[in-house]
Amino acid sequence: MNFQKIWLVLKREYLTRVKSKSFILVTALTPLAFVAFIGMVVFFSISQTEVEKQIGIQDQTGVLVEKLISLNETRYFDVSSEPVDSLRKKTIDGDLDGFIVLTDSVLSAGKSPTLVHGGSGGIAFISAIRGDIRDAVREAQLERANVSEEVRNIFESRTGLEAIKLTEEGESKDNSFVASSLGFILGLMIFLGIFFYGAWLMRSVIEEKTNRVLEVIASSVKPIELMFGKLFGVLSIALTQFVIWIVLYTGISIAAAPLAGMIMEAQMSSMPAEASEAASAFDPSVLENFIVQPSIFFFFILFFLLGFLIYSAIFAAIGAAVENEQDSQQFMLPVGLPIFAAYMLNTKVMQAPDSTLSTIVSLFPLTAPINMISRIASTSVPIWQILLSIILMILTFLGTMWLAAKVYRVGILMYGKKPSFKELAKWIKQG
Amino acid sequence: MAIIEVKNVRKHFGKTKAVNDVSFEVNKGRIFGLLGPNGAGKTTTIRMINYILSPDNGEITINGIVASPETQKAIGYMPEERGLYKKMKVFDQLMYLTQLKGMDSKKAKEAINYWLERFDASDWKDKEISELSKGMSQKIQFIATIAHDPDIYIFDEPFSGLDPINSETLKEIIIELRDSGKTILFSTHRMEQVEQMCDDICLFNQGEAVLTGNLRHIKASFGENTINLEFEGNGAFLDTLENVRINNRSTNFAEIRVLDQQNMQDILKLAMEHAEIHKFERIEPSLTEIFISTVGDDNIKKAEIK
Repeated sequence: MNFQKIWLVLKREYLTRVKSKSFILVTALTPLAFVAFIGMVVFFSISQTEVEKQIGIQDQTGVLVEKLISLNETRYFDVSSEPVDSLRKKTIDGDLDGFIVLTDSVLSAGKSPTLVHGGSGGIAFISAIRGDIRDAVREAQLERANVSEEVRNIFESRTGLEAIKLTEEGESKDNSFVASSLGFILGLMIFLGIFFYGAWLMRSVIEEKTNRVLEVIASSVKPIELMFGKLFGVLSIALTQFVIWIVLYTGISIAAAPLAGMIMEAQMSSMPAEASEAASAFDPSVLENFIVQPSIFFFFILFFLLGFLIYSAIFAAIGAAVENEQDSQQFMLPVGLPIFAAYMLNTKVMQAPDSTLSTIVSLFPLTAPINMISRIASTSVPIWQILLSIILMILTFLGTMWLAAKVYRVGILMYGKKPSFKELAKWIKQG
Repeated sequence: MAIIEVKNVRKHFGKTKAVNDVSFEVNKGRIFGLLGPNGAGKTTTIRMINYILSPDNGEITINGIVASPETQKAIGYMPEERGLYKKMKVFDQLMYLTQLKGMDSKKAKEAINYWLERFDASDWKDKEISELSKGMSQKIQFIATIAHDPDIYIFDEPFSGLDPINSETLKEIIIELRDSGKTILFSTHRMEQVEQMCDDICLFNQGEAVLTGNLRHIKASFGENTINLEFEGNGAFLDTLENVRINNRSTNFAEIRVLDQQNMQDILKLAMEHAEIHKFERIEPSLTEIFISTVGDDNIKKAEIK
């Protein structure tokens, strides 16, 4: 193995791509999209964007409508004096968004009332109304039953659950949701990364083959050196991109909380009292949850690297075996299967990162790159499992390299009809 | 002195015997032609010399060293299917290919600039190959082959796809390279180029080297026993000749190859007895005829040629 030559191939692969417009564009736009996303989260949580719907209440109990109006005076209207027919007409004409007839049986028998509405608003809107009605009915029922103040207070109290994560470094505020979402996103990134850069490598091999420049190169470089050079070249491109993103992300996530705090403060002083009250419901320190531990990024890079090496060798071999991208489809499917399975299973891993299934798929080397990073981000994975999965991946990658190198060696000089799986097996034997 | 030595080399692909027990030597400072019909094993042999493929059996040495990454540096190779990176600038591309051959970047830069200058191609440095015409990119391909200043040049079907002017230029360059002490090996199925340029040849047929040696010697060995006969009269006497093969026979013409040591004057005497002789000439057959008669159905045995 001549490292000088591998280096030359790597350098060419890296420089020609990194200098390309598409690389610069993708690298720059992705974090911008991320910033825009964070900005939107902040924006939506401090501003009331929902247009309030108007719901008419035809109250036959005499007590509920007041309570509803006091819960939300812009949403509910007392239309008890109007007949149902005219309410229907108003709803169809759009003067009202909907109406509810509250009969006495709602209070006495606990019957569910019916919302007649114009068909807009969505699930969140309907469940908000349901919640309001529930509160109003309960309050009226308590009043009617004439229970003591004490009991009423019991009903009004809502107990929450605060979680604290205990680790060796001490207690920290638990952010399970953010952690498992992060796990999923990192798994998704590795999935996309392997596929995107794997396909990139494959195209690059096919390009050399269709350009017929391969034979010239093969007269200067061993096929295995060429394959390694290209593989690590594309890997370097991927790592460059990921490192840029991680640095940007870390910077943004650290700056996000104080920045959002500052923006809100500035905004609130110019807002009317009522609105600023609503805005203060958003706690900018929530954004601190977005700060990711450096160790997770380390594992992310490590698992992407191993996953890429396992799959990219196969992608390179496919590229060498065919002459155009269409022909590569039949080989992509079986190769893509485990990695797709890993992606699908990742939802399960996210929900229950410590289950047996999650443990198995995070150790199995073909799914581990994706599923293990999800587990690492969302739970405390025993160190032996991490090490075992790394060792298994290294062994697998040596195996796929070995096979791929054989197919690659024969494939790069083969032109004409596209090979079958049987022929590929023959190439491997030949090598 | 043999600079390339191919000894009993065999290469099979499954059941196809691409190259079967082939041996030949290429001497330093000579132009060596590898001839044969398509599929005769020329390209496979060339790839083995370039260490792109490895022989199943036998050995190939370059300057006494078994074909290896080391020997690749000494060879400049232009494959039959030419190709370059379409989306790469001419200069970067040449630097890449030349450095891959083991030349350091400073020397590579000098050499590339020299050759670009020589081919009036300096203006194309920053152009991508896809912007160049076919003739232009062929020049770049040629520079890519020679820029690392190898001792040996191997061209697989170098004249295919070239117009007559470029063909002529290439021919001149090949001869110029030979005159400056370089060794050139090229393959072709076009005989006239071989006759004009080659010092030595190796004739391939169905994976075997059926004829090897100095072109002039080979031609001479054929020429001594070939007669061109023009006559008027009944040609039936030709059928009574023994141990000859008659080519190009018509009513008043015959090309007679004498297969044994019989006296050609006897053939002339016999002819004079039966017909009026207009012309009797001893000639060297053209290489095309040697080629056809060597690989054709009435194959001359190897032993007779040597």
